[in-house]
Amino acid sequence: MLYGLILLPVFLPEIAVIILLVSSFCEHLGGEKKKTNLFIKIGAAVKRSGLADSDKIREKNKKKELKRRTQKEGPKENYAGKDQPVMLPSVQRVGRQVSEKSRAIAGKVQVKAKNQLQSQILRTEEERLGIHIFTGIVLIVSALLALIAAWTGDKSVTLFYLMKDIPVYFHIDAIGSLFVTIVTIVWVLAGIYAFVYMEHEGEEKRFFGFYLVVYAVLVALDFSGNLVTMYLFYELMTLTSMPLVLHNGSREAIMAALKYLFYSMCGAYLGLFGIFFLSQYCDTLNFTAGGSLNLALVGEHQTVLLIAVFAMLIGFGAKAGMFPLHAWLPAAHPVAPSPASAVLSGIIVKSGVLAIIRVVYYMVGADFLRGTWVQTAWMTLTLLTVFMGSMLAYREKVLKKRLAYSTVSQISYILFGLSVLSPTAFTGALLHTVCHAFIKTALFLTAGIFMFQCNKTRVDELSGIGKQMPKTLWCYTIVSLGLIGIPPMSGFISKWYLAEGALEAGAGVFGWLGPVILLISAFLTAGYLLPITMKGFFPGKEADGAGIIKKEPSCAMLIPLIIFAALTILLGIFPGPLADYASRIAAAVM
Amino acid sequence: MNASIMVIVVLLPMFAGVLIPLIPYKNRVQMEIYIESIVLLNSLLVFVMLFNKPQEACVLLRFTGNLSLSFQLDGLGTVFAAIVAALWPLATLYSFEYMKHEGHEKYFFMFYVITYGVTLGIALSEDIVTMYCFYEVLSLVTLPLIMHTLSREAILASRSYLYYSLGGAAFAFIGMIFILTYGTTADFTPGGVLDISRLGDKKNILLFVYVLCFCGFSVKAAMFPFSSWLPKAGVAPTPVTALLHAVAVVKAGAFTTMRVTYYSFGTEFLRGTWAQNVVMVLVIITIVYGCSRALKETHIKRRLAWSTVSNLSYILFGVVLMTPLGLMGALAHMIFHAVMKICSFFCAGSIMYKTGKHYIHELDGLGRKMPKIFVIFTISGLALMGVPGLCGFVSKWYLAKAAVNSGTVLGFVGVAALLVSALLTAIYMMTISVRAFFPGKDFDYSKLDGIKDPNWMMILPLVLFVIAMFYFGLHSEPVIHALESIAAQIQ
Repeated sequence: MLYGLILLPVFLPEIAVIILLVSSFCEHLGGEKKKTNLFIKIGAAVKRSGLADSDKIREKNKKKELKRRTQKEGPKENYAGKDQPVMLPSVQRVGRQVSEKSRAIAGKVQVKAKNQLQSQILRTEEERLGIHIFTGIVLIVSALLALIAAWTGDKSVTLFYLMKDIPVYFHIDAIGSLFVTIVTIVWVLAGIYAFVYMEHEGEEKRFFGFYLVVYAVLVALDFSGNLVTMYLFYELMTLTSMPLVLHNGSREAIMAALKYLFYSMCGAYLGLFGIFFLSQYCDTLNFTAGGSLNLALVGEHQTVLLIAVFAMLIGFGAKAGMFPLHAWLPAAHPVAPSPASAVLSGIIVKSGVLAIIRVVYYMVGADFLRGTWVQTAWMTLTLLTVFMGSMLAYREKVLKKRLAYSTVSQISYILFGLSVLSPTAFTGALLHTVCHAFIKTALFLTAGIFMFQCNKTRVDELSGIGKQMPKTLWCYTIVSLGLIGIPPMSGFISKWYLAEGALEAGAGVFGWLGPVILLISAFLTAGYLLPITMKGFFPGKEADGAGIIKKEPSCAMLIPLIIFAALTILLGIFPGPLADYASRIAAAVM
Repeated sequence: MNASIMVIVVLLPMFAGVLIPLIPYKNRVQMEIYIESIVLLNSLLVFVMLFNKPQEACVLLRFTGNLSLSFQLDGLGTVFAAIVAALWPLATLYSFEYMKHEGHEKYFFMFYVITYGVTLGIALSEDIVTMYCFYEVLSLVTLPLIMHTLSREAILASRSYLYYSLGGAAFAFIGMIFILTYGTTADFTPGGVLDISRLGDKKNILLFVYVLCFCGFSVKAAMFPFSSWLPKAGVAPTPVTALLHAVAVVKAGAFTTMRVTYYSFGTEFLRGTWAQNVVMVLVIITIVYGCSRALKETHIKRRLAWSTVSNLSYILFGVVLMTPLGLMGALAHMIFHAVMKICSFFCAGSIMYKTGKHYIHELDGLGRKMPKIFVIFTISGLALMGVPGLCGFVSKWYLAKAAVNSGTVLGFVGVAALLVSALLTAIYMMTISVRAFFPGKDFDYSKLDGIKDPNWMMILPLVLFVIAMFYFGLHSEPVIHALESIAAQIQ
């Protein structure tokens, strides 16, 4: 019974999603005929009970919306009254009478339409509230269940047999728990942010439906106990997160989503190529700390196996934005709605990291790769990516694209830590995984706030933004410092471990080249993140100081940001428990 | 069980089929009931036969000497007969609705039903002579189905089909003669019938003949230099392209290559020779070539046809690995591909039937109007890509495993080819789905007014296929177990 607990967080969102998607499906089919549905009922009930009484903003929004809509439809109704051609006075008089009449009728129609609109808007409001409450409850309950499952000791459960000898098998181990915790924290906070943000994107049922299902898939991915189960959820993750990317339905978004899909599929198939070989040469496909490679089975096929492992590194590296297959990131992350790009950049790329950890440290074993050409090539690729990503981010002018390139670079810090194959660097990689998840999510959420409140997407438009929303920019600054690696923020400690690991591993040239490149990239990071802070707070003389309006976002958007900033500082000041935890994992796998 | 039931299931559809245009029906429904009941009855008989296997062979007639038309049911035949018998009634149900807009239905259904019997004949053949005869007959009875519309394009397509098929059969004939000369018997025997002592120094000639024979039979399975007839034949009505050009005819090609490789020439004789390498290279080229052509194609049915070319070569790849594991993978893909491809073809057919649109760029926004069809189409696309949880992954897994297990370089290259093809499959299937569901922000849906999902006769088979795809994907053990025991007979 207790074992079933693992699966609850996986299935609960799934059920919720079915409800959401089915209802959005029905809407498409039923058109406007259907006046009430589940969500409207929920929303209305909550409203009546007075629980959701922060109505001021909504009221304001409603008025705005109403105004917008009546403006849009107004001229059509008034058509009869205007554009009268010049005519004889008598005709004009008659015409005026007619036009007055028609104006009166138009006015009546307008009032009627206004009432209709009002009730419709009310209904949408209630529906939105209903969707949010529904999503929120499901998300929080499954998050709690996931955390309980993750932190109550090692458990495993076999769901069913996908193929002979290959079960869909879940096993909770130290690293899985760590990843699930990160995913859960980010998902819940970004979800709260999304409740407000998604107002201007529309299609919320679809968004929250897929948002929930991706969460479930990620939890399952992190808990996977064998390679095939992991691959299954890896593919599902790609497929279910794609609708988040193409959410706004523009041509650009669709092309970006397809790019995302094809890069991910290419990566997944390279991974699958390796899985075929590993299933042949490993004793078991279950993850075993330290690897389960059977050298007797490998025999003379060592080269083939190395090629296969390299293919897996490149393949799973595609999700993590590693060099040859990184191009989807700057395309897909900026077009998604901000909460989606935040979780894409903060979390989903980390699944590539997890997959690589699983392959290298839990299937093949670090010893098999140490000193081979695969390790050299891998280190080269990661360092190349670190440098290239930072450079591209530095010269990018669109904020979200800049952040996407920054992710390319930062994830390769993690991969570099993994490629060194030393316990210290591994610890550093895990620490950086945690830090980067929180920081990058926060950065994307900030970019979203800039878009949502001021409709600004380019870096050069952000001058003076600090006067308008100081709290937001302060949070941005704190997490930026964290990413650069300035103590006491969290990035410092992870980079310290990474550099130390590289130096002590004795990886030849890479021993010193690695830390040097990390350092250069840190400078570049400062170069592409901090100008926004500086320009934001000190826009210079020519900026007009008088007309500043406070545009601080609502609590639901600000609080997640503040929490992330706080986490960044906390992890920087008290890295002890987390570092211990990570080094215990490192000791187990090497 | 009495062996004569094999003769019945082969001959019943043939005779009943010939009667179709002769019976004076009062209306269309009567004809539909007659046809469907014949097909269902025959499928029922086939399944009764498969579950109570007749042990002995049954000789229909003797030509001369040891040449005879005779039937025998063995493991391999069981698989093929089961696929055919399961799909035929569903496809027939679908075609009742579809054929309404094509005309000449009586003749169409006549050949359609006759083909059923002929295909079963191939599945149940006891020896290479019988198989060859039915193979030739299959080319002839399916010819009218391709030129059904009688348009110029259709006639050209059927002509090219005829030339390819007859040419292939001629090569196959050479193989048959050599088997009759150098084999101990013409009957199919697991492990082959070649008498090595009689070969002497003619080993290379025989290997050459094997290559000829393999190419000859694989013309129907659309292997690389001989694949262009299949996409051309896409002009046929959809039930034909779906059932015959994704399942019956092309799988008959794959089935016959299994027979000659494992049951006539024998893998022990072939494994590791240059002949194996030659056919393997051809097969690997086809896997990638078919997918690339599919990617380039903009006509929806031709795209699926090229995809079939590539997927058939998955099966052939399993065959030419020449190990029991390879045969098992090939059989698994034969079953699973049948389900996946017939499903995607039926979806394409429904789209064409309902909207009259044939090209992929015309499909924008149809996902909202025909949600059921496009959801099913997407699922079949995912299955073809090999997403785990759907059946395509299972057969791909076993094929790749067999290839890795064989330990040859070409085997490894083959695994890479499988995955390249999977990626290309993802591209050419998913672009369709994305286009249909997400036509872009300002898409004007009013252009598509009045289009909706087809009726139950079209939807029911599709739903059953989807259930089968999930079932085989999530619970493949019984099928795989059965296939393993069939493949285990071969060394």
